Amino acid sequence: METSSSLSFLLTVPLLALLISWVIPKALQRLYAIFGSAMILALTVYETSGIIFSVSTEAAKAFFVDQRLEWVPELGLSAGFRLDGYSAWFLVLSALTTLVAFCVRGVWYRKQPRLFVSMGFFLLFALNSAFLATDLITFYLSYEAVFIPMIFMVGIWGENQKASSVFRFFLMSFAGSILMLVSMFWLMSLHHGATGQWSSHLSDILGSVSSAQAGDLVWPCAGFFLAFALKVPLVPFHGWLKDVYVNAPMPGTIWMSAILSKLGVAGIIRFVIPLFPAVLREYQGILLALSALSVVYAALLAVRSDQGKTLLAYSSISHLGFVMLGLFSLSQEGVNAAMLLSVGHAVTSGLLFFLLHQVEERTGDTSLNESKGLASSFPVLFTGIFLAVLASVSLPGTLNFGGEFLVLLNAYRASALCTILAGAGVVLGAVYMLRFFQRLGLGSPGSAGPVEAALKKDLSMTDILMVALLVGIVIYGGINPGIFMKG
Amino acid sequence: MNEVIHTLMPWLVLAAGILLTLLVSVIRVESKRPAQISALLTLVVTGVLSLQAISLPGEAIFAGSIEVSSLTRILLALFSLIGILFVLGGDRYLGKERIHLSDYYHLLLILILGAGIMVAAKDLVVLFIALEVMSLPAYTLAGFRRNDSRSNEAAIKYFVLGGAVGAVFLLGSAFIFGATGSTLFPSIHEWSRQSTTGGNPLFAAGHFLVMVAFLFKVAAAPFHFWKPDVYEGAPTPVTGIMSTLIAVASFVTLVRLVHLPALDASGWETYATAVKVTIRSLAVISLLVGSLVIITQKNLKRLFAYSSISQTGYLMLGLLASLHPGQGISPVLIYLFGYVFAAVGIFVLMTQSEPRGDTGVELVDLTGLVKRSPFRTALWSILLFSMAGMPFTVGFFTKYLVFLSSVGTGETPLVVLAALCAVVSAYAYLRPIGLMVMRDADPGAAQWGGGFWSQFVVVVSVIAVVFLGLMPNAMIHYLKGIPLIH
Repeated sequence: METSSSLSFLLTVPLLALLISWVIPKALQRLYAIFGSAMILALTVYETSGIIFSVSTEAAKAFFVDQRLEWVPELGLSAGFRLDGYSAWFLVLSALTTLVAFCVRGVWYRKQPRLFVSMGFFLLFALNSAFLATDLITFYLSYEAVFIPMIFMVGIWGENQKASSVFRFFLMSFAGSILMLVSMFWLMSLHHGATGQWSSHLSDILGSVSSAQAGDLVWPCAGFFLAFALKVPLVPFHGWLKDVYVNAPMPGTIWMSAILSKLGVAGIIRFVIPLFPAVLREYQGILLALSALSVVYAALLAVRSDQGKTLLAYSSISHLGFVMLGLFSLSQEGVNAAMLLSVGHAVTSGLLFFLLHQVEERTGDTSLNESKGLASSFPVLFTGIFLAVLASVSLPGTLNFGGEFLVLLNAYRASALCTILAGAGVVLGAVYMLRFFQRLGLGSPGSAGPVEAALKKDLSMTDILMVALLVGIVIYGGINPGIFMKG
Repeated sequence: MNEVIHTLMPWLVLAAGILLTLLVSVIRVESKRPAQISALLTLVVTGVLSLQAISLPGEAIFAGSIEVSSLTRILLALFSLIGILFVLGGDRYLGKERIHLSDYYHLLLILILGAGIMVAAKDLVVLFIALEVMSLPAYTLAGFRRNDSRSNEAAIKYFVLGGAVGAVFLLGSAFIFGATGSTLFPSIHEWSRQSTTGGNPLFAAGHFLVMVAFLFKVAAAPFHFWKPDVYEGAPTPVTGIMSTLIAVASFVTLVRLVHLPALDASGWETYATAVKVTIRSLAVISLLVGSLVIITQKNLKRLFAYSSISQTGYLMLGLLASLHPGQGISPVLIYLFGYVFAAVGIFVLMTQSEPRGDTGVELVDLTGLVKRSPFRTALWSILLFSMAGMPFTVGFFTKYLVFLSSVGTGETPLVVLAALCAVVSAYAYLRPIGLMVMRDADPGAAQWGGGFWSQFVVVVSVIAVVFLGLMPNAMIHYLKGIPLIH
């Protein structure tokens, strides 16, 4: 399992699933998508089990895999992939998120379902390739490839102002990533100047960067940082997010919030922190302040939201602010804590958006202006929301609790002020999530009442299994957080 | 003499083919097929002969005024290929527009011959003659839709501009001759090596004039104003030829002319700086004009006119990098090749919409295309992705190389600007895809339909774009080995 074939395997299986989806009849697409992504999830866990179930980081290291294939030697282009303690978990998360997203019923299984399912598998492939990449250009290519299915999803199955959302999303992403590409060129030229060889592999670039002046590295670092800050997003760069999340079809929102945002986290862990340690240390104060600002500002926006989808979108930014706080504490423990919280955020936000879609199917909208009273009519769904809200407010014993606790602990060593500020975000989180819970679950159904075409039944068996799986991970991770920290 | 004939064989075959095509069109006036077949045969033979001789050493003939090298051979082969593709792909369009005349084919061959000589010219006078041989048929072809006022406008604009370019070029050549006593490139180069004063005002004026002439030709902003009108008015296959064949020939010549004096010679530092500043500013203006104005365009031909202006901007980045010691011209060449492969497909695709009077294809014609014609939508999307420089198409690698070489020569701020311009213009390239996939067909949208050959050409172009996007090794490796100038 520690041979390099496992990497090629992890990359090719989604593509295989994509090809098969073209011969599956339209009526069976949902079944196939759920089955296929569940199989991929099982295979991913199996292939990475050496790392994710090992008792310690030291033991996991035996299973780390590096693979490098030459592509265009004249330009120093190679395809470099690395399976390690971080990428193993990101792979599992992307397979898990794909399973959750495919589980969601909706117009995408009626209008061009084949295109939807193949886009989903392509997205999974691009995500896996981006999480594994250790070659700068391989990473850039995979990072761009992730946008393509996302753009189609918003454009074809999106709501309301989908066209403007698509272009906002595209321009935001492309502007960020192309400046990252220019930074990559700068690093490659630096390496070429130092050694006379073209290379874009991280291990080669690291060698030349270490001898460069920290002052010269500020701009390249800014290029990378901007791309990832837009992707996560950090607060002054979050303007695109609300429109895109709200107008995207629900599977798209699940993918974006649960896993696409982790591309930024993975990029910072893999590239920014190793490449620019001195620059980050110099600007650490600003970075921590931005992260704390993200936590609080997004939480305030969430408190004010009157739509469930908007509220969850802002809550997502707020939680990711914690992740960034952990990363920019610039210690190994901080990064590990951020990793733990990333897993927690991916699972809970996937769960919340999944349940919110169930609410929308049954009551027609996600408005929080009046009570929906789900407790009386849909007790199973209500229970699911109850558990998800508890996970989201970081109740002790859940995955998020461990993550937020460790992040705050590590960030405190770097900046007490920012940590205290971010701590306020935890309280605000409880404020908006409890309101979310109260309006959806409690009270009696509002005057509008359920709409005509709405579902009358409670959660189906697959939905219950899905909720149980996610809740199980949240609780297991709360008890045994060590398995997520193998960096 | 035998030697010379042997070296010039592809060019001579092309010249003979022109006569043959003219002859068969006179013999059978009522049918266009003989002229078409004769033109195709001529181009195939020319292309094969030049590819066959490609690895032979370079040779200067006619007292050094023409140099046949690997570069000129591969460019002639490329020109023949472009000609073949447009003859095949434009066939149905010409019929639809009722301008399918035999003259079209021999004019096209004369144009290709002119371009083929132009890239081989090593003498200002030969270069001028080649320029005229290339341009005169181009004016005629631009006005080929002779009952249409826009086509007439295009021809007149193109002609007047071309006349001005010729005059400016001749004036510059005269100045250079006055300053250096020669019109041969190697002699001028030699003169610049020996002149330690860094050139004199007469030479500087002459050099700038000949450069300006070709800056008009490649439509670097602010010398670009003629391009959208000419592109819009000319028949679509002719626009395609202008955008590919004439653009490549003109840009390669521009690179040669910029490198006319030895800019790295001692005493030439000030002059070299002046040239660099000029090119840098023109690159900035072209990028800004090209990528900002393109987003407001509704007519596809005008859209691609502005697109080619911004492509000129990226090419100027490569040209600027080539002025630094130790940097080759290969990024420019690779960029040109990559651009040609995508542009041929795009212009042939444009001929496939049913004509809507005088304006050609509008963006609105693309609405809802995915429902009407999914395969064509896929072809459009891949080609537009390549234009936008998206990964896994050849357009990505060409931009990649140009940007990389520019960053390597310390032009990072310029590359940042160019990268942002790429983002802005990507909007213009992706909006058509959005209209095709995400909108329902507008009631005014034109029908689409192409014959077998037209579709064949587009598929060939798409295969080239994707193949070179995945496996650029061969092209990059080969073109990297070609020395361009001295």
